[in-house]
Amino acid sequence: MRQAARVEARAAYAFVAPTALLLGLFVFLPLAWAVVISFQSTDGFGQGAWIGLDNYARLLGDSRFWRASLNTLVFTVVVTPLSIGLGLAAALLLDAALPARPLFRTVLILPMAVSGVATALVGLLFFDENTGVLNSILASFGLSEPAWQSDGPWAFASVVLVTLWWRVGFNMLIYLTALQGTDPQLHESAMLDGASWVQRLRHVTIPALRPATFFLVIINVIYSFQVFDLVFVLTGGGPEDSTSVLVTYAYEQGFTQRDQGYAAAVGMVLLVATLAFTTLQWRLNRGRDGEA
Amino acid sequence: MHLTRRHLLTYSSAAAGAAALAGCGFTRSSDDSTGSRTLTFTTWGTESELAGFRSAIDSFEKANPGTSVQLNAVPYEQMFTNVDAQIQAGNAPDVFRVPYYSFGAYAGAGQLLDLTDHLDSGFSDRFTPQAWAAVQNGGSPFGVPHHTDTSVILYNKQALETAGIDAVPTALDEAWTWDQFDEVARRLRRSLPDDKFPFAYNWQGNGVTRWLSWLFEADGRFLEDDLLTPAIDSDAGRAAVEFTQRFFPDRLVPPNSSVKATTYAADLWYGETVAMTFGGAFLVPDTEATVDFEWGATYSPRNVRAGGDFGGNALVATRDADPELVAAFFDHVTQAEQMRQFCAGASLLPTRADLVEGGIEFAVRPELSPVFVGQASTVQAQDSGQVASPSMASIITVLQDQLEAAFVGGQGTEATIRGLASGIGEATAG
Repeated sequence: MRQAARVEARAAYAFVAPTALLLGLFVFLPLAWAVVISFQSTDGFGQGAWIGLDNYARLLGDSRFWRASLNTLVFTVVVTPLSIGLGLAAALLLDAALPARPLFRTVLILPMAVSGVATALVGLLFFDENTGVLNSILASFGLSEPAWQSDGPWAFASVVLVTLWWRVGFNMLIYLTALQGTDPQLHESAMLDGASWVQRLRHVTIPALRPATFFLVIINVIYSFQVFDLVFVLTGGGPEDSTSVLVTYAYEQGFTQRDQGYAAAVGMVLLVATLAFTTLQWRLNRGRDGEA
Repeated sequence: MHLTRRHLLTYSSAAAGAAALAGCGFTRSSDDSTGSRTLTFTTWGTESELAGFRSAIDSFEKANPGTSVQLNAVPYEQMFTNVDAQIQAGNAPDVFRVPYYSFGAYAGAGQLLDLTDHLDSGFSDRFTPQAWAAVQNGGSPFGVPHHTDTSVILYNKQALETAGIDAVPTALDEAWTWDQFDEVARRLRRSLPDDKFPFAYNWQGNGVTRWLSWLFEADGRFLEDDLLTPAIDSDAGRAAVEFTQRFFPDRLVPPNSSVKATTYAADLWYGETVAMTFGGAFLVPDTEATVDFEWGATYSPRNVRAGGDFGGNALVATRDADPELVAAFFDHVTQAEQMRQFCAGASLLPTRADLVEGGIEFAVRPELSPVFVGQASTVQAQDSGQVASPSMASIITVLQDQLEAAFVGGQGTEATIRGLASGIGEATAG
């Protein structure tokens, strides 16, 4: 019996080893390296100079870092509930007897197949304030044309809208899968008890989707914290840093200014914020499951 | 030996991994087993530029039997993150192409080969003084000026005629003064619909260094001769900020064409959003292929003096490259015939003094060549020398931040000058 357990354990380690090796090599090692670099002043060439916590102290007085942090937070707070809510709405529609459901599902999921850069380029065609499709349509109806690229709030709105277009399909897909895995007898029982559609949504569907929602909140928040390609291509962080986020700021510091130690410190702040949120969410969710 | 499925998988994985690593550029060769000598050369480029490089490499290999140059063409967007990573990993290419505004960062960090002892005496005489100044660091050459480019005004003939502008300058000494240019722009503003604009300036992205042309035209500088002391706090600096700042509130340029915009001046020109754009000769083939309106080119405006941006790229070698082979290659690609072919085909300007003096004919719209060559002659060595500062990467960020605040953030001239002076000072202090 003990021999069999040892063989089983060895097999388990053998299966885990390639993934652990790859994770160690390409995730944990670079991460540890980034921590070390964040304590250095370095342009990436040769040995950096050890400066302790100076990069972190510099963050405290850097108004552009705080602006990027605030933008990242606002982006997360706006995009996460909206993309999850719209994903849920789309999934509910496509789970019902809607005509041409495969077509709608394909249309919604299609942006997922496109890279972030390509999505942003499509967004540029749409939101260009001189030649973009959206302003042409608005002008043809005699409506005023927003300055999608030269006015801060409108530029931020364009990033949010393109992100929603990109993310809703993914959220819809996860919810649709969860909906189709829900026991239909629950709904039948509720209907027999006279529950309305809204009551069934609130008391049956949404609780049944809790694991999917938990997963989507974590994934969407992490995505929002790490948004880069859409912002970089669509607005470049401008105008006047109104769409600058932590990763575009870190990129600018690391690769444009070659201040790689400072860029690593910005990255560490992002890592800590992501870990803190995920831990908090995990604990809250575990508590709820316990109550249930 | 019996080859099991497991063995086959193991060996093929190992072989594929080695091939993949080789393909990723993790290997480097200078000498192979046959005794031939090889240079690795990394660059980005348009089709015409790459064709020019391939042609130069072919003739170099024919002229130097036993040598070869491996050309590695990469997209511009990945070029310098790749090169930086390769330098950090100790696998840098022997030779790479670098914009003049980035040259100083590599030379100043000690990553480039000092060519002082490897180039023939008198080698520098073949170049214009401003081109040679752009590849100096601490008084030594760390590269060769391969080609340059400078911005002139490309204009839509119909749009100018509609605004009643019947003539544009056809000689360098007749270039519009700032006041005349301002008047032309305002006449265009009055004749154009609200969603069209008189002109766009090509200062987006790293093109922010092109704003310096206004400073040079006002006879200003941003660094003193020591390349450390800020010099922008001057009447010329104020004049340049004040003049360019007015473009935005007066709607002479599109509001989304500021220095941090993601819309480039060239795209606004192709899309007919603007009647004129400032652009380099490299735009000539694309413009000819893209637009269906009649267009021409004229000189950039002048103020106290004429001026221009020293665009284009140098060729540099990394410090561990074979100096003799590098010097031979650099000598070859900067010969008159090689440079003429490259510049004519790619619509770029030569850095050789004899070609500048004798003229060059672009393959596309050759009648415009004198405008670009003439404008390039207005660049002074002190201008290009400042752009070769090792601190240029940080100075670019200062220019972007302060000019963005001035152009679209409503920041006043005095505050902008203060911000530029202190930012440049911090940048050069390291």
